[in-house]
Amino acid sequence: MTICLNHYLVVSVLLFALGFFGVLLRKNTLAIYMCLELMLISSTLALVAFSHFNGTLDGNVFVFFVLTIAAAEVAVGLAIIVALYRQRLTVQIEELNELKN
Amino acid sequence: MTTSSFMAFLPELVLLSGALVLFVLTLGESQGRQARIAALLTALATVAAAALCLGQHAVLFSGAYRVDAFSQLLKLVFASGLAFILLLSGRLPDIRDQIKPEYFLFLTLSVSGLVMLVSCVDLITLVIALELSSYPLYLMVPMRREREGQRSQMESAIKYVMFGVAATGIMLFGLSYLFGLTGTTSLPLLIVRLQPVIHSPPAVVGLALAFCGLYYKLAVFPFHFWTPDVYQGASNETAGLIASLPKIGAVAVLVRFVSLSPSDNQVIALLLTGLAMASMFYGNLIALAQKDFKRLLGFSGIAHAGYAVVGFVSLSTAGYAAALYYIVGYMLMILACFVVICQVSRDGTNVAIAELAGLHRRSPLLALTLVVGVFGLAGIPPFVGFMGKLTLLTSALAQGHLALVIVAMINAAIAIYYYLRVVREAVFGDPAGNQPPIALDWPTRMLCALLIAAIVAFGVAPEPVIDALAASLGGLNLPL
Repeated sequence: MTICLNHYLVVSVLLFALGFFGVLLRKNTLAIYMCLELMLISSTLALVAFSHFNGTLDGNVFVFFVLTIAAAEVAVGLAIIVALYRQRLTVQIEELNELKN
Repeated sequence: MTTSSFMAFLPELVLLSGALVLFVLTLGESQGRQARIAALLTALATVAAAALCLGQHAVLFSGAYRVDAFSQLLKLVFASGLAFILLLSGRLPDIRDQIKPEYFLFLTLSVSGLVMLVSCVDLITLVIALELSSYPLYLMVPMRREREGQRSQMESAIKYVMFGVAATGIMLFGLSYLFGLTGTTSLPLLIVRLQPVIHSPPAVVGLALAFCGLYYKLAVFPFHFWTPDVYQGASNETAGLIASLPKIGAVAVLVRFVSLSPSDNQVIALLLTGLAMASMFYGNLIALAQKDFKRLLGFSGIAHAGYAVVGFVSLSTAGYAAALYYIVGYMLMILACFVVICQVSRDGTNVAIAELAGLHRRSPLLALTLVVGVFGLAGIPPFVGFMGKLTLLTSALAQGHLALVIVAMINAAIAIYYYLRVVREAVFGDPAGNQPPIALDWPTRMLCALLIAAIVAFGVAPEPVIDALAASLGGLNLPL
């Protein structure tokens, strides 16, 4: 069996769905963060696959920028999680409920 | 780089050199005052540069960056918005002295991201500019001072980041499909190559997902959860920034994206109609029950984002111009409200609606600003909010979206109730206890006068603004 574009796309959609439902269902902020990373990574897989089968390099260049964005986002997000842990001694989402009226 | 392309990039260069100066200031000890002056000077220089470069046309960076009438007009709006926000920020009572330079640095960087966003015509630069405008905002939210009864800033920051990154992830996934269908990241090329397949499921899904990152910035219905929490948890000045400028950026990019789809694309129109209706109803109905003024503005902001989306439903130039006009007017009105919030709460705490009682005795100018801003938001005639709604609904009706227009009218009626409650407290309420009058410094007085004048002027004479916006939209997708 040769591996064609659709196989890559199916994997990419699966990764995206895993990330998306993980974000919705997980209770730990760090686990949610991992799921967010999965969502970002799924688009890079699709971009590389499209780029390969379209015969252009634009998608690969896009992937570099997506990875940079993901790295910056982790730096910002983990900084806030650490600050949150120092203040509340928890990173569980259900214990963060001060903002509900 | 030739002289002409240097001129075309001048506003961004001024803003970035200002950010560099601010970065140097962050390296020293407690340079809060100098940082504020540097940021103000940067803002004023950027306003001057943007006004100077209004007529520029250029394509820079191998076609990734397009300077045209549309982008230059919005850069002027962003530069003035930055100046307004800095005047409004004043002494930043709720930010610790040591981190004030960082605060101003992030503020300038975020606006520079927005300024670049409106010129981007390549998916890569678009995503980078969008993130450059978002990340500083994520960091500005938790910079608020901790104190008794105010320990929610980290919580609101974490919500803001998570929804933001999730929206970015969904948007990137949609963009990857648009790239896959067209084989290019350049928007003008993408438009041409997407036309033959625009009605196919992958194209519609790709476009719909790609909009998600923008809906988040605009706080439209399924991506609105962060809005009230972030407004409540962030300091008053930060909330004022988050409520105003990023929404204009989102509308501007949405214009670039929606103009991709032909005017007979019923799926996109239907999707936008649903989002607009849901946003209006959700925002207005929940706002009815709010006691905190910032939370009320947060929910009403969701409803106003819904009104702005009404302009896109018609998929016509008139509609896009109306949406841009409305969101620029919204920036002026919401800033008027936030000036009042920042001044009424002297030490930076949140302001309950009940605390506005007797504002007309404590400070007549603030009460007038609040009344003008809130009447504008409610859509009462002489102000910009009324003309904005009128042009939006006219453009939607011209394309036969009668049901949407009726829903929008019902929502405008619901909204008047809670806006009038605010005005009643400020104008007819008596101050509880013996509240001292509020002394205003001259920058605040000037800002109040400017905002009132702009809200009235835009409302009385909308034609020049709408015509300028419509004219700039005409050249949006033309080759330079």
